[in-house]
Amino acid sequence: MKKILSVVMVLVLTLALAGCGTKTDNNGTPAGDNGTTTTAPTNTSGSTGSEIALITDKGNIDDKSFNQGSWEGVVKFAEENNITHQYIKPEEASDAGYLAAIDNAVSGGAKVIVTPGFLFEVPIYEAQTKYPDVKFILLDGEPHTADYATYETKSNVASIMYAEEQSGYLAGYAAVKDGYTKLGFMGGMAVPAVQAFGYGFLQGAEAAAADLGMADGSVSVIYHYTGDFAETDTNKATAKTMYQEGVEVIFACGGSVGKSVMAAASEAGAKVIGVDVDQRYDSETVITSATKGLGASVYAVLESIYKTNSWDTYAGKKTYFNAANNGVGLPTEVIGDANGNAFDRFKSFDKAAYDEVYKTLADGSKTPVRTITIADANGYATADELKSGLGLAKVTVTTRQ
Amino acid sequence: MENYIIEMLHITKEFPGIIANDDITLQLKKGEIHALLGENGAGKSTLMSVLFGLYQAEKGEIRKNGQVVKINNPNDANSLGIGMVHQHFKLVEIFTVLENIILGVEPNKLGFLQKKEAREKVMALSKKYGLQVDPDALIEKISVGMQQRVEILKMLYRDNDILIFDEPTAVLTPQEIDELMEIMRGFAREGKSILFITHKLNEIMSVADRCTVLRKGKCIGTVEIKNTSKEELSHMMVGRQISFTVDKEEAQPKDVVLSVKNVSVPSRTSKKHAVKGVSFEVRAGEIVCLAGIEGNGQTELISAITGLEKMSSGEIHLQGRDITKASIRKRSKAGISHIPEDRHKYGLVLDYTLEDNIVLQRYWQPEFQKHGFIKKAEVRSYAQRLIGQYDVRSGQGPITITRSMSGGNQQKAIIARELDKKHELLIAVQPTRGLDVGAIEFIHKQLVHNRDEGKGVLLVSLELDEVMNVSDRILVMYEGEIVGELDPKKVTVEKLGLYMSGAKRNIGKEKEHAE
Amino acid sequence: MQNKLFSPSRLRTLTGSKGFSTFTAALLAIVLGLIFGFLVMVIALPANAGQGFSRVLFGGFSRLGDVFYFATPILMTGLSVGFAFKMGLFNIGASGQYTMGMFFAMYVGFMWKVPDGLHWVICVLAGLIGGMLWGCIPGILKALCNVNEVITSIMFNYIGMYLVDMLVQNNGTMYVAMKTRTAYLPASAQMPSLGVENSNVNVSIFIAIIIAVLLYVTLNKTTFGYELKATGFNKFASKYAGMNDKRNTILTMVIAGGLSGLGGAFYILAPSTIAGSSMTYEPISVIAANGFTGIAVALLGASNPIGIIFSSIFISHIQRGGTLASLLGYKPEIIDIVIAVIIYFSAFSLIMNAAFTRFIKKIRRKGAKA
Repeated sequence: MKKILSVVMVLVLTLALAGCGTKTDNNGTPAGDNGTTTTAPTNTSGSTGSEIALITDKGNIDDKSFNQGSWEGVVKFAEENNITHQYIKPEEASDAGYLAAIDNAVSGGAKVIVTPGFLFEVPIYEAQTKYPDVKFILLDGEPHTADYATYETKSNVASIMYAEEQSGYLAGYAAVKDGYTKLGFMGGMAVPAVQAFGYGFLQGAEAAAADLGMADGSVSVIYHYTGDFAETDTNKATAKTMYQEGVEVIFACGGSVGKSVMAAASEAGAKVIGVDVDQRYDSETVITSATKGLGASVYAVLESIYKTNSWDTYAGKKTYFNAANNGVGLPTEVIGDANGNAFDRFKSFDKAAYDEVYKTLADGSKTPVRTITIADANGYATADELKSGLGLAKVTVTTRQ
Repeated sequence: MENYIIEMLHITKEFPGIIANDDITLQLKKGEIHALLGENGAGKSTLMSVLFGLYQAEKGEIRKNGQVVKINNPNDANSLGIGMVHQHFKLVEIFTVLENIILGVEPNKLGFLQKKEAREKVMALSKKYGLQVDPDALIEKISVGMQQRVEILKMLYRDNDILIFDEPTAVLTPQEIDELMEIMRGFAREGKSILFITHKLNEIMSVADRCTVLRKGKCIGTVEIKNTSKEELSHMMVGRQISFTVDKEEAQPKDVVLSVKNVSVPSRTSKKHAVKGVSFEVRAGEIVCLAGIEGNGQTELISAITGLEKMSSGEIHLQGRDITKASIRKRSKAGISHIPEDRHKYGLVLDYTLEDNIVLQRYWQPEFQKHGFIKKAEVRSYAQRLIGQYDVRSGQGPITITRSMSGGNQQKAIIARELDKKHELLIAVQPTRGLDVGAIEFIHKQLVHNRDEGKGVLLVSLELDEVMNVSDRILVMYEGEIVGELDPKKVTVEKLGLYMSGAKRNIGKEKEHAE
Repeated sequence: MQNKLFSPSRLRTLTGSKGFSTFTAALLAIVLGLIFGFLVMVIALPANAGQGFSRVLFGGFSRLGDVFYFATPILMTGLSVGFAFKMGLFNIGASGQYTMGMFFAMYVGFMWKVPDGLHWVICVLAGLIGGMLWGCIPGILKALCNVNEVITSIMFNYIGMYLVDMLVQNNGTMYVAMKTRTAYLPASAQMPSLGVENSNVNVSIFIAIIIAVLLYVTLNKTTFGYELKATGFNKFASKYAGMNDKRNTILTMVIAGGLSGLGGAFYILAPSTIAGSSMTYEPISVIAANGFTGIAVALLGASNPIGIIFSSIFISHIQRGGTLASLLGYKPEIIDIVIAVIIYFSAFSLIMNAAFTRFIKKIRRKGAKA
C-alpha cells in the first residue's frame, strides 16, 4: 500500500513539473488587459477567441429562452459561413458583470457581440462608446443609461425589437381557429410590449372568428394585467378563477406570470398559450406560444454584416422584426426532434392553416395595430377602449382589475 | 548458545525530541513467557511496535531463529508467526466475533466466503484453549474480556506462535485476569512464546519466566523471575526504592468541607436513578474514599457534585455554601478541584499544548488574561513551573501537544493543574488508573500531602489496595446507595468485598427510595 | 547527503511543524486538482489546452482587481464556515446568512436617508446585523434545544432566501417588477471603489482581510478563542473546565452569521463600473452559491483565517483565469468543470495530509539509511 502510494506521489510530482513546463511554453498571450487598447491577435493559429460572441444573460445557454433562441441563430449563420463563434457566461449577473463579459469577449477578439435581452441595455450603452469598432446586436432592448435619462443607439449597435402585436395576433387567430371561444389574457404590467401582445391577440381572435363566419359576440375574452412579472399565489388564483369561469385557454404574457398560469391550468385541466419563446417544454398545458423570432433576427443581422454588406439597415436604430422577415411567429419545430409536430397540441389547427394566416401578415394584407389610445395612466385599457380601438365585433372583452 | 526464537538486537528508535528506544536488546526463548516491564513512556510499546512492523528502527536488527529478518509492516510480522493483542483492541465493532477473527484471511473459494470452514477452526481453537466466545455475537455487544479473547483467537487463527500481549490486564476484572494468566500458561506449555508487556509486578511474579526491564528508553537488564523479587523489579523499573504502602499520619479531620444531602441522580441509560438519596460529608484534613464495583453510581454522584450532571433532588454544600444549582465554573471557583475519571474525555484537550492544558481551569483568571487576551508569557512560565514541580515529562516541554504524551504524564499534568489551583476539596476519581507503580506512588503521596494541608479529599477508587492504603474513611456504594461506612484500619479486604458486592450493609438498611 | 537543503535533519525540522504539513498538503491537493483540470481541458479541446491552462493558472494576474473583487464575498463566507468549524460547528447556513445580510444592507441602502459618506458604512453594519440574526437562531436552537445546527442552518438557507425574495418583491422602492430585480442602489450606499479600471474592486477586500486577521487574533490570543477551540477539540473537557458551552455556541454562530452577512453586504454594495448602475438582486428562489463556495474556501484554508484569505484569493484567481480560458473556445461549462475539479480536490487536502506525512516519512527513512 505504502509503495503504491509513493509511486502515485512521485507520478503526481512529475506530472506537476511537466505541467509547469507547458505553462511556461504557452505563456505568450497576455489575456484580458484593458480592453480598449488591445488589438485582437490575428485569427490564424486558432488559439485566439472567436469572432462572433454571444453573452448569455443570467441563465444557461440551453435555457429554452432568450439565450438558446439567439444562440441558435448565431450557430446557424456562423456554421454556414465558417466563422468562429462562441458564447460567454458573465462572471456576475450585473450591469458591470455584463460589461466585463463584453470586455473579455472583445479582448478575446470578438468583432460582433450578440446580447439577448433587455438586461443588456445599460451595459451596451457603455460598450458602444468603449468599443466603437465592435458591432453589437442587442435583442429586445434599446441602449440607455442606468437612470433612463438618455437613450442612444450608436452606429455600431443594432437594437432589435419585435412586432409583438403580430405574434399575439397569430396566437389569438390560432386559438379561435382551433375551436376555442372562451379566451383569457393575463399580461404582466401594461408596458408597450405586453400591450402589443394583448392587442394583437384580440385582433387575431377577431380575424379568426370572422374567417369562420361566427356571429358577433361568439368569442369572449377576459382581459387582465397582473401588475407584476412574478410567479405568485395571487396570479395563480386569478388564473384559476378565470378557468373556473369557463375560460378554456389563457395567453400568459408576463415573464414568470406564465408559471402561475401553467400551474393553475394543470390543476384545472385547461390550456395555456406561452410567450416570447416556445414554452411547450415548460408545461404540457402549453398549446402554442407567441414567440419572437430571436434566431431569425440574429441570422438576418449577421447576414447584413457578413454577406450583404448592409449593416446600415440596422445600425444605430431600433428595428422591428415582424412576420415579413420571420421576426415573429408560432413555433413550427420541436427542439431536438426533427420529426416532431409543433402543432400537435392543437385540436385541428395545423402548419397549413398557420402558413395561410402567416402569409396575410407577411404580405401586409393584415396589419394589426400596436397601440391604441388609453385614458388610464397605468396603461390599463377599458373594455370599451379595446372594443373601439381594435375594432372588435365578434369578440367581446371583459376586463378584470 | 541459547536457542532464541526471536532476538531484537541493539534496537534504537527515535521520535522528534525523544529517543524512545536506545540500544535495546531483547531475546525471547521458545516456550517461555517473557515479561517486558517498564514505567509509562519507558519505550515498551515502541519496542513491540518495532517488532510488529508498525515502526522501523533506525538501528539494530531483528532475528528469527538466528536469521536476520526485515519486518516492514504487520503483514511481514504475521508471516513470521508474530501476533499481537493491542492495548486498544483493533476490532470492527459492527462485525460479529467470527467475522473479526477471519478478517483479512477470509477462507474463500472463487471469491465466495467459506464461513463454515472458518467457524469450525475457530470453535476448535476456542475449545482447545478455553477461550469461550460466541462466534455470532456483535463486537459492540460483548464485554471487554470477551473482546480480548477475540483478539487472542485472531492470533491463534493465523497460526502465530510468537504472541505479544500489550498491557492485556489493564482492562480486565480480577477474575478475568486470573483466567488470562491461565490461558497464557497454556500457550507456553504448547510451545508458544509469549511477550507480555505490563507494569503490574504481581502479574509478572505469578506468570512470567523471565523479565526484561526498560527505563526511559534504555534496557536495564533481563532477570529470571525465580531469582528475583517484586522489590528488585520495581527498583529496576523506577531506579529507586518504591514503598508499596502509603506513609501517612493519623488524619486530623476538621470542619466539614463538603456536605451532600439526599442526592439523587437520574441514570443516563435507564429510567431508574443511578444515585438514590445519598448523604455524606467530607471534612477538611481527611481522605474519604468512595469504594465500590464499577457502575454502582459513583460516576454519577461525582458528576452531580462537580456539576457535570444535573441531579433530580438533594442539596450540596461546600463550606456551608449551597452550590446545588451553581454552574461548573462557580463550583470550581468556590474551591472544588476535580481529577476526572476519564482523562482523555474530560481532563484534557488532547490537541492543545501542555501549557494550554495546564491553564484549562485558570485561563480566565486575571493572572493569565487581560481584557480577554491571554498572557502567553505568564502561561508559559506558570506551565514551566508546574512541569518542573510535578516532573511532567514530554518531548517539547510546555509546547508539546498533549496527545503525544504518555498516559502517566498526562495524568501528572492534570494533577498539577488541579492541585495548584486554589481549592478546599479535591475530588480524585480513579487517579491511578492505568499508571505504573512510580506514578501511583507519586499520586498517593500528593493526595496525602493535600490532606495534610487541610483540604478535604474525596477519592473514588475501584482498586482495593488503594482504598485500603490511602483512605481515612471508606464509604461503600452499591446500586446507587451508600451501604457502608468503614474504617480502613479496622476492616479486612474480605469484609470490604462483602459490602461492595451488596451482601452486607450498615447504613440505611430499611430505607425505601423512590425510583 | 551532500545537499544541505534536503538533509534529513533539515527535512525533519521543516516537516516537524504541523503548519508546514497542512500547508504542503493543501498545496499538493491543488497540484493534483490542477493536473486533473488540465486533463479535462486536453480532452475537451486538445489544441488550446496548453494555452488555456496557462490562462487558468496565470490569467488572473492580468485581472488582479477582479480577483480581489470576487474573492471578497467568498472570503467572508469562508471565514464564517471556518470560524464555526473551529468550535466543531458545521455552519452550512452561510448561504442564508449571506442572503439576509445582503437584504439588510440593501434595505438600508434603499430606505434610509443617511449622509453620503456614512451611508455605505451603515449599510455594511446592517448586513452584519442581518447575518448575525440569521446565524443566531440555529445557534440558539443548538445551544438550548440541542437541535443539530446542520439541519437548522440548511432550513434557514431556504427560509432566509424565500423571506428575502418575498420582502423584496413586496417593496415598491426596492423592486422593479418590470425587470424582475431590484432597482439600482443609490451611489451613496455603494462601497468606495479602488479605482481599478474595468473592475468593481472596492474597499471591502481590505475590510475582509482586516476581519480575517482579527479573527486570527481572536482565535489564538484571546480567552474566547481559547474556549472556542477547546470546545471544538473536546466539548466534554470544555464543559469540565466550566466553559459556558451554550453561550459560546450562540456567540460563535452569531459571529459566523455576521461574517456571512458581511459577505452578502459586500456583494450587493459593490460599486459599478457603469455610472448610475449598481449590483441588483433578482428574487428567483435560488440559494446564494457563495455560501457554499465558502465551505470549499474554508476547507482549503484549513479553517485558519489567514489560510482562508489565501484560499479565497486562490479560488477567485482560478475562476478569473478560467473565464479568460473560455475565450479560447472552451465552453463556459467545461471551464466550470475544470474549476470545480480544482476546488473539490482541495477538499481532499485533509486526506492528503495523512498521505503526505507518510510520504515524507518514507523519504526521511531513506535519507537516514543513506
